[in-house]
Amino acid sequence: MRERLTGLLLALPAIATIALLYLMPLIASMTGAFETEAGFGLGNFVKSTELYTTDILYTLMIVSLSTLIIAGLSIAIAGYLTLGENPKAVAILRWLYRWPLFIPFIVVGQVLRTFLAKNGLMNNLLVAGGILTPLQTVSFLDWRGIVIAFVWKQTPFVTLLVAGAMASIDRGTIEAARNLGASRLRILIEIVVPQVRTTLLVGMVLSFVTMMSVLSVPLMISAQSPTMITADIAFRINAYGDYGVANALGMISLAMTMAVAIVYLRLNLKEKAK
Amino acid sequence: MTDAAFLAVSDVTVGYAGTTVLDRLSLGVDRGEFVALLGSSGCGKTTLLRTIAGFNTPRSGSLTLAGRDITRAAPDRRGMAMVFQSYALWPHMTVAQNIGYGLKLRKAPRSDIAARVDEIASMLGLSGLQARKPGQLSGGQRQRVALGRALAVEPEILLLDEPLSNLDARVRLGVRHEIRALQKRLGITAIHVTHDREEAMVMADRIVILDRGRIAQEGSPEEVYNRPASPFVAAFMGAENVVSLEGSVDGDRIAIAAGPHNRPATIARETRALATGRFQARFRTEAAELLPAPPRPAFGDQADKASDDGALRLRGTVCQTSYPGGVWRHVVAIGAAEVSVDADQPVEPGTDVVLRVPSSALFLFDAPEDGAEQVSRAAA
Repeated sequence: MRERLTGLLLALPAIATIALLYLMPLIASMTGAFETEAGFGLGNFVKSTELYTTDILYTLMIVSLSTLIIAGLSIAIAGYLTLGENPKAVAILRWLYRWPLFIPFIVVGQVLRTFLAKNGLMNNLLVAGGILTPLQTVSFLDWRGIVIAFVWKQTPFVTLLVAGAMASIDRGTIEAARNLGASRLRILIEIVVPQVRTTLLVGMVLSFVTMMSVLSVPLMISAQSPTMITADIAFRINAYGDYGVANALGMISLAMTMAVAIVYLRLNLKEKAK
Repeated sequence: MTDAAFLAVSDVTVGYAGTTVLDRLSLGVDRGEFVALLGSSGCGKTTLLRTIAGFNTPRSGSLTLAGRDITRAAPDRRGMAMVFQSYALWPHMTVAQNIGYGLKLRKAPRSDIAARVDEIASMLGLSGLQARKPGQLSGGQRQRVALGRALAVEPEILLLDEPLSNLDARVRLGVRHEIRALQKRLGITAIHVTHDREEAMVMADRIVILDRGRIAQEGSPEEVYNRPASPFVAAFMGAENVVSLEGSVDGDRIAIAAGPHNRPATIARETRALATGRFQARFRTEAAELLPAPPRPAFGDQADKASDDGALRLRGTVCQTSYPGGVWRHVVAIGAAEVSVDADQPVEPGTDVVLRVPSSALFLFDAPEDGAEQVSRAAA
């Protein structure tokens, strides 16, 4: 009995820290989402959907599309690292692909803003190369710019996870397929990716959640309407001091990430049950 | 000889980054033959198999299959299928998918694949398991799926890379015979890599013993067991008792001079390649007979020549007795050397004894120049 009490006392600071710094603010913002001037109710959510349905769908579209492109690219890069037969190319790629991991989102946003603008570096190069005329240039500073920024920043992270998983699968399973005549692309799709799909899913879910919470990229690249939920939350608070709607929007993006997490957990459980 | 062989490995050198693993190695394999590549770890046996399979490209030399040059052919253009040590089954596919994958790659119609998978499964005793994943199978079943996957594409040559080393000892004994029987029934050519002497002996038509990237000896199991060509092969084939002798070679006879612990003896030379001088004698634990020592004076230089029946007699003292099962094992000190000898009856430690090693079980080699015991590491 005494020992249990001592144990509890020892754990108390940690529990208190979690309760004070993590649970309380979360609960406060959850209850805040239901507080309106007329008392508790769904007013904030009604207002959120009236004003921001387009932005919510826009966010979902951008983040989902980015997640899929990231998955495709990371499979391609990690696959080449695992199956590539030119050791020099593999070494160069291995050294190169991780750099974006060390660059903050805000810097990514800024770099890509100058790169993708109508008179930005990319279009200047295309014009100088005679591929486009100045009149044909378009700005990529809309949903495409945000997707490019997310993919650029998050692909190395997922690749890191996937390449690690691919490196640890039994090389024999690859050689056995090659022995029977499978091409490298078939080996990647039919032999390697199925063996690392859990890791790939983890990487995709983590990326999805990260991208849902990034404010700097939409602000830097495309803050006009439509924009992402994060920009809207910042706008409600900074421009109107409207914490109610901001909390409601926060709850909505939380619901979206939870949905993804649940899908992932479901798949994981099914896998284990097999 | 390699011209006529079905699979010919000629003067092949293989290395990884600066080290040479196979050194100008040549080997011929006939159609329908079961060849075992035997050696300790690091001898190059797996590298040789992988070179034959096409996973390693030789630095020099060539490989031909039925007269066709395959030195640089892709692994799947060689008509070979490999069974991996780890089985390397695809964990996300069912047994049927694993076995049928090679046929799927060859774009066989789905009904043909299903029929072939069923045929293979029933041949290997896997019927009813087709829908399972490899994770739900026992070690022996996995091993058979790996074998079935290789056999499904009807290869001309089956390559086996230590396929039994991950099995329980008891299962392994059964699978040895199963694989051998299957190979005979299908008339398929097989190359089997192993470090297990007995496994090579019971499975193969021909054993190729590798040592440091070269072939130390090749021949039928009986040949390499009874007529080892070098101390290395003798040690690898279990003749680990070593004694130093001196003697002279005279025509078809070998005269072993009397030494501090042995009587003189004259034995037939037979096929032994030997020069007058110091000999290294090797014999197996079960090859020597343990006899009671005659009284001291009788064992002198003037000992009766009549008792010399073409066998080597060594005098020693038993220093340890144990019972590993079936026979009693004795450690006998012969001077500074210690040898192991089996006998039906135990002999008390401390007893003086005579070891009689018949000529047929006595392997004689010229003693190594530096006198170093280079061969003992092969014992593992």
